[in-house]
Amino acid sequence: MIQGPRRIALEEWDARYSELRRAGMVEPPYGGPLRRHVEDGDVRLLKLWFDDSAAALRLWNFLLTEEDRLRQARALGRRLVGAMKDLGVVPVMAYSSPRLTAFYPDGAWWIPCMMELGAGLLRLAAALGLDESFCPVRAVLGAFLTGAHFPIPDLLTCSVGATCDDFSAVAQRLNGLGYPILWWEIPARRKPDPGEPAVDLPGGFSAPRDQVAFVGGELERVRSALEALAGEPLNEERLSKGIREANRVRRRLARLRRLAYAADPCPLPALEMLIAEMLAIHFCSDREETVAVLDILLEEVGKRVQARVGALPSKAVRVFWVNPVADLRAMNLLEDCGARLCGTDFMFGHALDLIPEQAPPMEALARMARADPMVGSAADRADRVCAEMRAFGAEALVVSRIPGASHCATEGRLIAEIVEERLGVPTVEIEVPPVCDALTPNLRTRLEALVEAVRARRGK
Amino acid sequence: MKTVVYTCPFVPAEWIAAHGLRPSRIVPSPPAGAAEEVPSVGFCPYARALVRHLCGEPGAEAAVFTTVCDQMRRGAEIVQRRSSLPVFLMHVPTTWQTSAARGLYLSELRRLGRFLVDLGGVAPSEARLTDTIRRFDAARGALRKALGLVSARRFAELAAEFHRVGEPRFTPPTPQPMPLGVPVAVVGGPLLFQHFDFFDMVERAGGRVALDATACGERALPAPVDRRRLARDPLGAVVEAYFDNIPDAFRRPNSALYEWLRGKCAERGVRGILFLHYVWCDTWHAEAQRVKESSDVPALRIEATDSPAADGPTASAIQSLLEAIR
Repeated sequence: MIQGPRRIALEEWDARYSELRRAGMVEPPYGGPLRRHVEDGDVRLLKLWFDDSAAALRLWNFLLTEEDRLRQARALGRRLVGAMKDLGVVPVMAYSSPRLTAFYPDGAWWIPCMMELGAGLLRLAAALGLDESFCPVRAVLGAFLTGAHFPIPDLLTCSVGATCDDFSAVAQRLNGLGYPILWWEIPARRKPDPGEPAVDLPGGFSAPRDQVAFVGGELERVRSALEALAGEPLNEERLSKGIREANRVRRRLARLRRLAYAADPCPLPALEMLIAEMLAIHFCSDREETVAVLDILLEEVGKRVQARVGALPSKAVRVFWVNPVADLRAMNLLEDCGARLCGTDFMFGHALDLIPEQAPPMEALARMARADPMVGSAADRADRVCAEMRAFGAEALVVSRIPGASHCATEGRLIAEIVEERLGVPTVEIEVPPVCDALTPNLRTRLEALVEAVRARRGK
Repeated sequence: MKTVVYTCPFVPAEWIAAHGLRPSRIVPSPPAGAAEEVPSVGFCPYARALVRHLCGEPGAEAAVFTTVCDQMRRGAEIVQRRSSLPVFLMHVPTTWQTSAARGLYLSELRRLGRFLVDLGGVAPSEARLTDTIRRFDAARGALRKALGLVSARRFAELAAEFHRVGEPRFTPPTPQPMPLGVPVAVVGGPLLFQHFDFFDMVERAGGRVALDATACGERALPAPVDRRRLARDPLGAVVEAYFDNIPDAFRRPNSALYEWLRGKCAERGVRGILFLHYVWCDTWHAEAQRVKESSDVPALRIEATDSPAADGPTASAIQSLLEAIR
């Protein structure tokens, strides 16, 4: 029987860690107390609230030791692939070869938050001409220049076309600094014209068959590069197996989302859910361990749901969240205001959908790439948001803008408008910078107003 | 005749004209006053101006947007939602080194053709298409000859008018006394009319715009059409003139832009660069520092907003650049 899960601060984690150890907690090699990451520079952890379970501890440790894992992979002779502006396509291909490890260099956009700007990555980006008018993803430039946050990959791929201008500009700057990049094109997704042959995509969209074929061709170029890097073919059998393995992760995430977003009280806090979902993008550089981490989380959440206990009070306001936050603390803030997460669109819905296993693997991957919410319209994205909000019983919508991001200037208002029209729920648009402390009173006021609006509606 | 408006230089006027419609590549002129329905924070003033223009009284029966920038792609959606104007979003591939990218551009032109037919246009015969391409190419040749006959500002105005009218004719201007001054290149994306004033500011500071490498100048003109190609594959000739030859910052990689700039700056004896970009235009903004680093001559970055160009600090910065290179 689980006794009262709760959110705890880092100081409390020291005692909690000892307690769990005494109770026989078995940790993987990357395990250990969370505080050591603060000593490594991740000082933002001191301002966050964490779920107090061993499962959450493992999730955090897994996330915060990725750099070690990448260096270890290289030491073991594996070749590293940096899959840029790619939320879940090339990594599935790369992990189909035992000789490759893929990661997501764009993930460096969280370093300014985690190190509370201490790493100076944004300053380095500014010195290269990318100032605060760009998305915080510009931190990637600093991460490459310092080489201090991840090993420089042996192959860099970057999707371009219907992508955000910020990252396209960052990648071009990187390329101009001498880093070779394999660019692959991802056209804007459009609805098939009447009579035009179409293909159903994961996530419920459809696209013209020609567009899927074009993306398939682009991914063939990526496949050739991966094969050259691995020194072995990425044949259909390997790719099919890679897809099945990716789907193992996705199935677990689907179950976790269903449990965590539907149950009351909320069995797992927003911050841990954000991190768990992120694992879908590139498996945090270890696909097998991702499965293990999710299994343990699922077990914990399953027990909590069964016991009807949660980390947050019952009847918290059910909020659907759009876009990832530059400052992880914003997810805590939502809960501090009396709300809980009840569905998300962190810009990578296609990385959560099952990849078709019956189709030829390259075709299946192309369909998945076409389902990327960011290559379609805001209206498409809103369709999916509405469907999930209905499924999880969300009572309100938060659209979180990423400062400077090219898509955020316009899409949030459109998504909010459509959600308001269709579901009649209150919405709010906020902007979360990499360290949001100075804006916390304002963010709090806006989120509290949203929570109050929902409570008032409940009372009617 | 129905008018189809657009701003992107990768939309071939001759393809629209061959369908019996009037192509009108405009410089957006939004209505005065507030526009709450169109976001301002984070939205590039040029893209915003176009969206506001089209949501107001566009003077057209349809609009074509392209994907050369994310904000334009998303701007198309705002226009679709806020107005009844038919909108076509054309994917212009960012990559250019593969035959697949060229093929995609070609297939997007064909799709545009179907949109034009739905608007009431007529799919052109090969002979009609060839003839239309030839006439537009000749008119652009005449426009190109005006380079060096008039000031950069006058050329930008003539080009803007030529593109707006959308007819394959260009009357050569009377040559003007050319400003004497230090040769300067103006580099950047598209300009709103009020930002043509930057050309005057250069002249007032003792310079001369010897190269207009904005989207309003010669950089964004398609290459002369290959006549042999035209004879056997007219639409392929259009792809070659536009897709294969217009250098731009959005392309990946965008090395062709730098090669073009290097060649033109050397040819014109450019001694300084005025780099213009709009606030929130990531594509051009990100190139400012690279242009500085890759250029042998001093470069000044100016960030434009939707306000008029002529303000004290900008004029003073341009003055300083000219003083430094004089």
